[in-house]
Amino acid sequence: MHRKLLSSLLLGTMLVGPAMAQDNMDKLTNMQKTDATFTFVDQSGDRAESLKKIAEQLNLPDGFEASLYAVVPDARSMAMAPQGTVLFAGTRKDKVWSIVDRDRDRVADQVKDFAPSITFDIPNGPCFSPDGFLYIAERNRVLVFPAAEFFFEGPDPAVGVVVAQGELVPEAEESFNHTARVCDIGPDGKLYISLGQPYNVQPIEKIEMYDEIGIGGIVRMNTDGSDREVYTRGVRNSVGQDFNPATGELWWTDNQVDGMGDDIPPGELNRQTAAGQHFGFPWTNSGVEIVSEADFPRPEGVEFVEPQLQLTAHAADLGMRFYHDDSFPEEYHGGIFWAQHGSWNRTTPVGARVMFTALDPETGDAMGAQVFADGWLNEETGEYRGRPMDIEFLPDGSMLVSDDFAGAIWRIAYNPKPAE
Amino acid sequence: MRLAAITILGGLMLAGGAHSDELGDRDAGRKLASQCSTCHGRDGYAQIPIAPHIGGEPAEYIRNQLTAFRDGTREHEMMSIVARMLSDEQIADLAAWYSGHKVQVELKQDPSDAPEQCVACHGADGLHVYKDAPNLAGEANIYIDTQLKAFRNGKREHEIMTPIAQTLSDEEIRAIADWYADIGLTIEMVE
Repeated sequence: MHRKLLSSLLLGTMLVGPAMAQDNMDKLTNMQKTDATFTFVDQSGDRAESLKKIAEQLNLPDGFEASLYAVVPDARSMAMAPQGTVLFAGTRKDKVWSIVDRDRDRVADQVKDFAPSITFDIPNGPCFSPDGFLYIAERNRVLVFPAAEFFFEGPDPAVGVVVAQGELVPEAEESFNHTARVCDIGPDGKLYISLGQPYNVQPIEKIEMYDEIGIGGIVRMNTDGSDREVYTRGVRNSVGQDFNPATGELWWTDNQVDGMGDDIPPGELNRQTAAGQHFGFPWTNSGVEIVSEADFPRPEGVEFVEPQLQLTAHAADLGMRFYHDDSFPEEYHGGIFWAQHGSWNRTTPVGARVMFTALDPETGDAMGAQVFADGWLNEETGEYRGRPMDIEFLPDGSMLVSDDFAGAIWRIAYNPKPAE
Repeated sequence: MRLAAITILGGLMLAGGAHSDELGDRDAGRKLASQCSTCHGRDGYAQIPIAPHIGGEPAEYIRNQLTAFRDGTREHEMMSIVARMLSDEQIADLAAWYSGHKVQVELKQDPSDAPEQCVACHGADGLHVYKDAPNLAGEANIYIDTQLKAFRNGKREHEIMTPIAQTLSDEEIRAIADWYADIGLTIEMVE
């Protein structure tokens, strides 16, 4: 079997020398130019055609249509610019992609790397402030790009450092897995960043240290990096969060312990109603005991918050967004869509779909998970055609689904056929 | 920025193949590999950035790493789980399956610019020269970067790699990772 190398899709590759990397950061923070050049991703040809065939195999509710929006290698968490001009997608490698649909035909016509002058390190998580500052949470650094939806056109956007290299987590706690950060600007204007803990279950001797730093949690800080505090405790590895626009509450997904069997522990969707709440990990995971009280005492003075929904074990619930547009039918308004990436070591693979829950209008609680879109998993062979990772919305209210396996961003739109 | 002189080195560089059978049963390894393929592919071409390409890797290297994950001398939150149930025989079978695929590389830079600390074992083109060294061609740069830092801070240990990594700065590590990540890799599955 011959396999095309991903980078052969890209026009040219650039190598920034070691000294150059810091020089470029210095230059950019002083608004100077570098000699960096863009990498463009071809949006036509064999790759795009084979991806379009995957879109045809997706199963959706009546009236919805799926299509290929963009060819984007390794596409992970997404952030749409406030004016809707450009979409940014992070990766678990070294690129952040800018994705533009200039002619507004709902198919991207230009995909190129953002800020090629900067040496990124797992820039998984982009997020925007309402006034157009783009934050990028990397493995162990957080950068900010003012007016990114204009500056992305050139290779040398203005940049500032929110959290310096090595200060998000101690360097000794850096890993590759569980370092796909996601971020959001909350209704309080603060920056919220998830910090996965690097282990399946952290060693007992690290429980207290992690709890203090917010590893296995969500931290928040001012947008200049000051006043950092642990906002969410007792998380294993959250790679999806969003604020409910109706209430300002933070909701987030979590990924559960591996190696306990095919059907436990269930996945989690969580609702946080106050700062500092503890969600149980590593003592409990969706109600399943992981670390016993005898092994390590639970923290005093906290009650563990139970998940809103218990989800299919190992399906890997990742990026999530509230639906606050209006082009989808009424039943979806105010509810939550999220991506299930799909299992990696379950006997029979599960996941690789887009899920939905409505919220109870009285209590605001999640009412129950339902499958919104699937077909990325070939049920006969157990092989993935794609793996959904994050959800974002275009200004017209249609959905974008990033897929780091297929290297694509899919679009799902509501286009009901006129009644006969 | 250095301009990439596109030098396609003539000929196919083949690794693995004929001599790996003595270690394990390839057919048994092929069946076991269904547990590995979500991340590493059936042909050993990685499906996710955090996983290395293992197709055409030296059998000895694969065997040593799986054994280390099983025995707890190397740790990874996913590999430590999947390796813990493997017998010596199953490890040998998996090593036989994955090492038996054919690897082809395409070096796009001038080989004289290759990182000099690395080439004796990993080659300028990222193909192993020494049988306990992995191929590095086409690995995600962040994978190589993460491994070098793990050797530097003691999370991963190796008699040769540990002292080399301890001399490297973050910038040198990234430059080495970028060199090998930039090499084109094709794996041809051998049934």
